[in-house]
Amino acid sequence: MTTTIARPTPAPAAAPRPTVRRTGPSLPTLVGIEMRKSLSTRSGKAMAVAAVLLGPAATAVVAGASTEPLATVTGPIAVMGLLTGYLLIALGVLSTAGEWAHRTVQTTYLLVPHRGRVLATKTVAVALMGAVLGAVSTALTSGVLAVMVDGASWDGAGRAMVVAVVAGAAFAVVGAGTGAAFANTPAALTSLYLVLLGVIPLVSGFKPEIAEKVDPAGAVLNLGQGEQTTQSVLILVGWVVVPAVAGWVLTHRRAAQ
Amino acid sequence: MITVENLTKQYGNRTVVDDVSFTLEAGTVTGFLGPNGAGKTTTMRMMTGLVPATSGTATVDGRPYTELPNPGAVVGTLIDASAVHPGRTGRTHLRLLADTIGVPASRVDEVLELVGLADAAKRRVGGYSLGMRQRLGIAGALLADPPVLIFDEPANGLDPEGIRWMRDLLRGHAARGGTVLLSSHLLGEVEHTVDRLLVIGAGRIVADGQVSELLGSDGTSVTAVDLAGLTRVLQGAGFHVQHGPDGALVVEGAEPAVVGALAASAGIALTDLRPLQRGLEDLFFQLTAAA
Repeated sequence: MTTTIARPTPAPAAAPRPTVRRTGPSLPTLVGIEMRKSLSTRSGKAMAVAAVLLGPAATAVVAGASTEPLATVTGPIAVMGLLTGYLLIALGVLSTAGEWAHRTVQTTYLLVPHRGRVLATKTVAVALMGAVLGAVSTALTSGVLAVMVDGASWDGAGRAMVVAVVAGAAFAVVGAGTGAAFANTPAALTSLYLVLLGVIPLVSGFKPEIAEKVDPAGAVLNLGQGEQTTQSVLILVGWVVVPAVAGWVLTHRRAAQ
Repeated sequence: MITVENLTKQYGNRTVVDDVSFTLEAGTVTGFLGPNGAGKTTTMRMMTGLVPATSGTATVDGRPYTELPNPGAVVGTLIDASAVHPGRTGRTHLRLLADTIGVPASRVDEVLELVGLADAAKRRVGGYSLGMRQRLGIAGALLADPPVLIFDEPANGLDPEGIRWMRDLLRGHAARGGTVLLSSHLLGEVEHTVDRLLVIGAGRIVADGQVSELLGSDGTSVTAVDLAGLTRVLQGAGFHVQHGPDGALVVEGAEPAVVGALAASAGIALTDLRPLQRGLEDLFFQLTAAA
């Protein structure tokens, strides 16, 4: 393919300087920029679309294929919230580890040298995106349930929906923290999914009493159905805090090159 | 003004930047030369806070880069032109930078026009050539028209017209009072662009001075209609004369004015008379080999 590149324009002799903000970007501005970064690439957009559509699509398939009556919608809403959260992990990982993979972290730190500020705004940004995408997905899932399922109880559905939204935000932040800690997208994703979908289920088969104290999936399902609230909240907080702290520490020590 | 004092970087037992000090004044273009692995890029990364220094300081108008309230408005940096997400369009990439720095969106179109990427702005960066990515990096550095430019190998991927354009850009920036630091392996390009040279070898500054000072040497190159006669006159005056390239005579230790006066007194017509200058390549290899 032949590409014609326009020749650069000779610089004007004494063009006035552009208007420039004297201070750095505010936190809300940075959060908005981080959200736009995540959604300005095909991978980010695809991840967002998948996160929104996976829950309702899976619900439609299961509802259509199932012959058993559904007693309550809280279970399916919580389950689909969890599945959406698993996808939103990837969005979080891409927001942090993705910058290291493409070396765009250099430009980010050149413009905003305080790495803690960058990590904090990325965390807020992915939490907001996780919550919004989780909310949209949950609303669509609930709509599918309302249309396709007759006779199910909607008691507790509001709580389940809130838990699904919180799970979306929490899992996205887990991804962001883990991505910041590893600074390597494949390593972060593999490690997280291996633990969540492999190690914990394996441990639950041998030591269920240990697995139930660390399993975020179980915590989301229990919260969605109003069970073991305190333990479930602590588990999710632990999953959010530990990668975030690890990401914070390692980000500050890592050379950006 | 940029001041670097005793900047050092060690990785374990390996010292990659060793006690580097220099000051960059406004209105100057400084070339930062050195072989691969000499420490140029590491020095630039320490100056911009990307890599923590083991010791020493680097300041921009008296403040470390990381303490500038809006660094992108003060220092335009091009360190790695390929550090762009390939999935973004050129315009989107610059818009994100512009919003972070705090310049109007219209400035994005101005810099795209300036670097000749206006037609490619809507294409994904993954489809850009090396030269286009280089131009995009330059565009990003120029968004705020900052007083300081720090460019690492800016001519990479540029064709001769692009190199000339970049030279005019940088010299124009310095002429308007800006400060430019650029590193390059293209010695010929650096020689025509910079006022001052910093040469680094094995992590240490081995030369720091004006181009004319570093490249000039004590002597004169002269050609004449009667080379043999001129040779006799110069040798008679006590000068050592050698035959140089292209038929010129090389007179060591002689000022051009003295050689001209001797030729005139003997009635010998001169066809060329100039101070003797070393090539930048010779200087580069001499200094970095010693390091």
